[in-house]
Parts: sequence; structure tokens; C-alpha cells
Amino acid sequence: MGGVEEVGGRGGRNPVVSLWGHLKAVGTGLKYLIAVPRMTVKYPDEVIELPDGYRGMLIYHQDLCISCGLCATICPANAIKMYLPSGGGGGEGGGEKPETPPKRHPGIDYARCIFCGFCVDICPTGALEHSKVHDAAYERVEDMLYRPEEFAAGPPTVEFERPPKRLRPVMDERRGISYEPVG
Amino acid sequence: MSGAGSGERTLELLIGPQHPASGHMRLVAEVDGDVVVRLRPDIGYVHRTVEKIAETKTYLQTIPLIERPPLADTANHNLGYVMAVERLLGVEAPPRAQWLRTLLAEMNRIHSHLYGLGIHGIMLGSSTAFMWAFGDREIMIEMAKRLTGARITYSYMIPGGVRRDLPPGFAEEMEKALRYLERRLPDYDRIFFSNPVTRARLEGVGVLTREDAIRLGVVGPNLRASGVAYDVRRARPYAAYPELDFQVVTRSEGDSMARMLVRVGEIRESIRMIRQILARMPDGPILAERYAKMIPPKWRDYVRETGRIKFPAILASLRPPKGAEAVSRVEAARGEAVFYLVSDGGPRPYRMRMVTPSLRNVVLFSHLTRGCRVADIPAIYGSLDYFPPEADR
Repeated sequence: MGGVEEVGGRGGRNPVVSLWGHLKAVGTGLKYLIAVPRMTVKYPDEVIELPDGYRGMLIYHQDLCISCGLCATICPANAIKMYLPSGGGGGEGGGEKPETPPKRHPGIDYARCIFCGFCVDICPTGALEHSKVHDAAYERVEDMLYRPEEFAAGPPTVEFERPPKRLRPVMDERRGISYEPVG
Repeated sequence: MSGAGSGERTLELLIGPQHPASGHMRLVAEVDGDVVVRLRPDIGYVHRTVEKIAETKTYLQTIPLIERPPLADTANHNLGYVMAVERLLGVEAPPRAQWLRTLLAEMNRIHSHLYGLGIHGIMLGSSTAFMWAFGDREIMIEMAKRLTGARITYSYMIPGGVRRDLPPGFAEEMEKALRYLERRLPDYDRIFFSNPVTRARLEGVGVLTREDAIRLGVVGPNLRASGVAYDVRRARPYAAYPELDFQVVTRSEGDSMARMLVRVGEIRESIRMIRQILARMPDGPILAERYAKMIPPKWRDYVRETGRIKFPAILASLRPPKGAEAVSRVEAARGEAVFYLVSDGGPRPYRMRMVTPSLRNVVLFSHLTRGCRVADIPAIYGSLDYFPPEADR
């Protein structure tokens, strides 16, 4: 009684056709067992060289910065904010007020950054540009915040236990991607 | 067992919400033995208020936001949103920018279809299909990385044009990439699509009739697999599509196999389109004159030499006219995506509506699973290329 009738047609199949299909599938598998097209590289012993224009972590040239704040205005993730120089001016409790207010400079929070590169593209003086660093790791989330002075010191350097082999990906008709050693 | 004493014989089976397949959602299946009596998709686990957040961001800042929900299919949604913004502003991208947009959109379609096929594969237990598709998707990611500087969330299309021109040697590398994909597809066919196991799992399973597909408002490959040749790229051509020669891939069976094969056919069509685009792309600027002339003079040489746009400051605070409304439609990889924007004259959208293809297709979970076996649930789910974050937004 009741119940829903089963639908779907898993009808009788021709076993010969089926066997032929299985053989073709297994044969294709065997082909790849012999000629393995591997795209994965063995990071961190092998590192993929990134192309020019890659949107990696930022380089900040403070000497070029005019404190216009466009980078902070355009940042979609509120990763870039403008900071007063530390040790004077901005802190609580005041101190004497300088005659001209100190300039603000950008700092970045990599915990928020989405690497869209809008800040680099809108920077009118070229004070911001992309590096090719993208694999930095942090132990504490606070360390991902770079105030202007730290930001100006450059993106973190990634240290490898053994010097890695650098590989450039090139398209390959047979293998998809093959890798050429760089330098 | 629900109410065994009162003579009921069905069992409620909860699948998820711990990421049953392509994202967090829950399927509530009422089963009678091994047969599904009723299945209800419980969606919303990855809702992130994209439409509301858009009201707090400027028009340009909304671009990266739009790209988050559809994950693999970022460029097509980027394009749809930017088309709506351009209609608000009354600005049009120059021809070369339109062709570059189409190029990335089709690269992204291949990427997204491989992603969907891979997930479908693993749902059926074929790790090979999953590994192959996710490996080969790297081809399009690598090429997109060279074009845009990012792997997945490109934010490449901006109001008035695109951010970067083709890098040197792109067309030659892309030709090799396309030849590789063409060589691979027959192997995919032998090892997965025509594999007797795959056929047994998919043929005749989850059949969507042409009438039901239309009645339920299904979009994309799921619609075309039921014999309806509707594709926004053909119905309301945009970007460079009016000038490209391509077929709208359809099948008549309407079953899970047909849905998968339509996607495979679309990968082939996208390969054809990318070849045409790279062979026939017009020369010229990649940003509309209205904004290009506002790029600071000191950057003009840089832009010309590198082919990378420097934003004029106005892009940080675009203000469409008060009361302006715009709608745009694009054929995203999973189906038609619709964007609706209202401006109140300020720098942020007053309202942004984003209707994604997965949202339109979620109805199929209940419709197609009635009367199927429990083991058919993943087979049908995977065939829909349903992506919970895209639907939940």
C-alpha cells in the first residue's frame, strides 16, 4: 500500500557493450599509469615561478606616498587603513599639538586583504606595487597587521629549509602544464 | 521511524549540512525503504548577505563581493554586474575590452564546468574524474593568472572596460592549452562519461521533461539538457557574443547523463570561441574614453607599455544619476544570472539584486528526486552543478 513508485530506467543492458566499455576505461587508465602527466609540483622543494603582473603581497614605497588615502578609500575589504605616525600625534592623552598635523600613511592587514589590487591600480604615484610573494605564513593573527613603518619595510621573505627549485609553468599539448627550471 | 505506531512507514533521512558535496546545505529526505518519497533542500547555511553588504560598498568595491558566491564562475558574474553598472552610468566598454571580457568569461566557463564535472564524479565515487577535472581546471587557472594576475577571483572587468590587456605570447600558450584539452576529452569519455558504471548511474535517472523545465524556470545546462535551446548569449547577445560563431548545445533526454554531456559540449564550444576571440580580437583601447582621459598623464606611457590600466581617482566614487535603474543578464556557467541595480545618486548602490543560476535551479532537488533511490540522490545532485554558496549568496 501507499509508497511512491520507483522511477528511473536502469533497464537491462547489453553485457557485451558493457564489457567493451569497461575494457576501454581500464585501457585508458593503464595508458595514464605508464605515461603519468603530473601537474603537481613538490612544494616547498619546488616552487612555481609567478608571472609578471601577479597580484601578490604589496610593496610600499613610503618616499613616493603623498598620503592621499585613495588606497584606503578604494579597499573593498577595509584591509588598508591610514595611520598616524606611531610615537606622537595620534596617541591618547595628546601631548603638544604640532603646528601642521602629521600626515597619515597606509598600513595593511593581510588577514583582511583579498589581493584584488585596486589599491595598486589607483595609487597615483606608484607608491604601491605588487610583489610576487604570496606564501607567507603567520603564527599569530596580530602579526598580519602591518603599520606604515612595517609596511614600508617590504613584504615578508619566505624562508625555505633547502633552497627550492624554481619552476616556470608552460603550456604543453601533451601534458597540460610542464615546468621549466628558472635560472 | 516517524510515528511507527500510527501506521506510517517512512523514515526521515538527513544528509548534511556538513558539506554533503559542493557546499554546506542539508537535504531532508523522506524515504520508504530505499525509495525517496519526498526530498526537501534546506538551504541558507552559507548565506552571507551579499545584497545587503553591496549597499555599504561603492560600485567598484562590490565587484570582489559579487565574485565570492559563485566561486569557480567568477568572471561571468563580474561581467553581469559590471554591465548593470555601465547601464546606470551610461558608459560603454570599447570593442577590445568587450572581446577580452568574453575571453575570460569563456575560459571561466571551461573552468567552472570542469569543476562541476569533477564534483559530480566524486559524488558517483569516481575519484579519477574528480582528480582529472580538478587538475585540468588548473590549465584555465594558469592562463587566467597570466591575464589578470589572480587565479580565481579576478576582479578583471571594471565599469568602462577591463584592467589589463593580453600579456605577450598569450595566444600561442592558449592554443597549446586548448589542444591539450581537446586531446583529453576523448580520454574523459572513455574513463568516465561512457564508462558503463557512469551510464548505469546516470542514464534515465532524474529525468526532467521539457515542459517541467520551462514551468519550473530552470536555467543553464540543466534547461538545455531538456531540449530547450535557451542561452542568454544567443537570446540577448552581449559583449562579443554577437560576433562569435557558436552553437547552443542541447540534448533531448533530460536525464542526469544529458545534463553532464551538455556541459561537455559547452566546453567544446568554449574552446571554439576562445580560438575565434584570439584570432579576431580588434585592436584599440581597453578602457572607455570617459575614464581613460582621466588617467593621470604621468601614467599614460606606463599604461601603453604594460597594457595595464591605472585607475583614475573617479573610479573610487562612481555616482550614477539619482533614480537610475538597470538590469543585466548574462549566461553564467551554471545558467542565467540576473543583476538589478538602483541608484540614489550616491556612491553606493541603493539596492543590488543578484539572482544566481543555482538559486533558480534549487527547485529541481524536490522535483527530480521523487521516487528515486537513495543512491540516486548524489547522482542527481551532481548533475545539477548546484553550488550552495552561489544560491545562498
